Amino acid sequence: MNLWNKLMCYSRRHSPWLFHMNGGSCNGCDIELIASLSPRYDAEQLGVRLEGSPRHADILCVTGPITHNATNAIKTVYGQVCGPKAVVAIGSCPATTNVFIDSRTLEGPLDKHIPVDVFVPGCPPRPDAIILGIAKAAEILAERAGKKLPVEPVLMQLVGPGCGGACACGATKEIKTEEEVQP
Amino acid sequence: MNILTMLWKNLWGGSRTMLFPKRPEVSEKYRGLVRFDPALCTGCAICKMRCTARAIEFKSGKGEFTWSYDPGHCTFCGRCVEGCKTHALTQESECPPVYTTIGELNESHTLTRQKPPAPKPAAPVPAVLAEQIPIPATGETK
Amino acid sequence: MNSMTTSLARLLIFPGLLFAVPAAWFFLWVERKAVARMQGRVGPPFMQPFFDFIKLLGKSTPPRNGIAGLLMKAWPLIAVSAAAGAVGLLPVLPASGGFQGDLILLLALLEVPSMCIIAAGFSSGSIFGEIGSAREAVLSVSYNVVFLLAILSVAASQHTFSLEALAQLPASPLRWLGVIAILICLPAKLHLNPFSLPNAEQEIYSGPMTEYAGPELAMWELSHGLEWVAATGLVATLAAPAVTLWWVGVLIFIAFSFAIVLLLSVVASATARLQIDTTVRFYWQCTLIFAVLAVAAALFMRLRA
Repeated sequence: MNLWNKLMCYSRRHSPWLFHMNGGSCNGCDIELIASLSPRYDAEQLGVRLEGSPRHADILCVTGPITHNATNAIKTVYGQVCGPKAVVAIGSCPATTNVFIDSRTLEGPLDKHIPVDVFVPGCPPRPDAIILGIAKAAEILAERAGKKLPVEPVLMQLVGPGCGGACACGATKEIKTEEEVQP
Repeated sequence: MNILTMLWKNLWGGSRTMLFPKRPEVSEKYRGLVRFDPALCTGCAICKMRCTARAIEFKSGKGEFTWSYDPGHCTFCGRCVEGCKTHALTQESECPPVYTTIGELNESHTLTRQKPPAPKPAAPVPAVLAEQIPIPATGETK
Repeated sequence: MNSMTTSLARLLIFPGLLFAVPAAWFFLWVERKAVARMQGRVGPPFMQPFFDFIKLLGKSTPPRNGIAGLLMKAWPLIAVSAAAGAVGLLPVLPASGGFQGDLILLLALLEVPSMCIIAAGFSSGSIFGEIGSAREAVLSVSYNVVFLLAILSVAASQHTFSLEALAQLPASPLRWLGVIAILICLPAKLHLNPFSLPNAEQEIYSGPMTEYAGPELAMWELSHGLEWVAATGLVATLAAPAVTLWWVGVLIFIAFSFAIVLLLSVVASATARLQIDTTVRFYWQCTLIFAVLAVAAALFMRLRA
């Protein structure tokens, strides 16, 4: 139904729930993300809630160049985020590994592992820039509801969806999902 | 009871939040995206050597060179700006924009190498000073 | 026939689902906005809990297998129906057909969402769920003793277990004592600071709700909102004066509920989360003695009368 679809688009845009994941960062971007929830910048005016579980969230915010230890964790958590999802790479590190470009402990930029929707440059980005990035990701989620696109281009499934994700079984499959937004 | 008076003041004193599209002012010395002025660049590549994150690429060809900048790599440290002797690089005082595809903000400029400008003749010494300062007889110009 | 239609109207229309669900969203918004304002922020816009609900309905859920999966799907529905039933029992309109003992039924229905949260944490199979459920269980045991003793003292002093009779009778000092004891238990029941331990996000990743997503999570949020309406409605029923005009009574009920929501928001924003041992000690050492004294006083007055 058209009305339901419009309502769903509007709700997705106005209720982005975040899950924050640290992929080996120096914590500068993490602090700025938490600062964006502070009274001066107040991300809650957009309906943003920082959730405790990846299953509750729509937007996965990743900081840090992806270290060797963090790779499996990021893929697992990405698989655990449900339904229509978006990924925001906060800072210059997840986009291009920034100053750590020759490091032996890194597995490369974030979009080598999971599809990324919005990049927020900066080292660290200002909290108002982070809020702008989250708002852009919420708009992308609303567009996906509107156009009935597949919820994400490529899904790499690391562990079975039923288990709590406590173990990384090590089986990687690249699946083109046919998951569509329900009308 | 301090907490309760604080809550009361907050409740009636209004919020200190900046409502969404509004962003706080940044000072003039804020280090944002690097801006390149092709007219001033001499192709010395000091900026590439000083760059910490390999955001600046410099390719030298016959009689021309290409300067390219990837803001995705940039850490906005300002070493390139400090190192440029002709002040061809400046940093804009604005937050870098949010982008959705890798490489969206890249820029690259291809410039031809110019001959160094001819040396200017030395300016004549004014008559007032000529009496006081002896001018060397050889009159060398630089 | 008449009582059946009245009961259905109470359950589904007023103060049942049709009134309670928007009221639940309204109270959730009031709490978030009041806490935000007191922290110096702006807070979410008015329809925020409604948009959260709709958005959650549109998300996919991970596939769940076996009996544990079936149970996981069932617990939120049981919680919502129990909370809706509890709201439906509130005697907002006069002469709406209550019965002797519906106070006990209301308390039982108010307990069901907590039980469902505990069961849901264990059936989700994640370690965070188990820890959160264990905390919720300890909290539930601690505050429930005080809560039930306070209600018992109020009911014993007025010689009735019928909600409607309690609403009509004039208040005695013992009833105010009972109301204060119930108000002390409400932050624990509604998972607010200082007793918001099962929700400790940084420690246990959403606790019992960790594995829930999509429409199931929407049902949990709705049951939480309905618990708000039922719990504040119970205190409003006990505290509000009885009036003859029915619409004045309804307005007074809503006004009292709103005031209790604001009071709980002030408490939530003024305090920090207490640890489990401090919480248990608070309920068992500090408040239990007053609840026991209230019951003893009620029984004593009853024996004398």
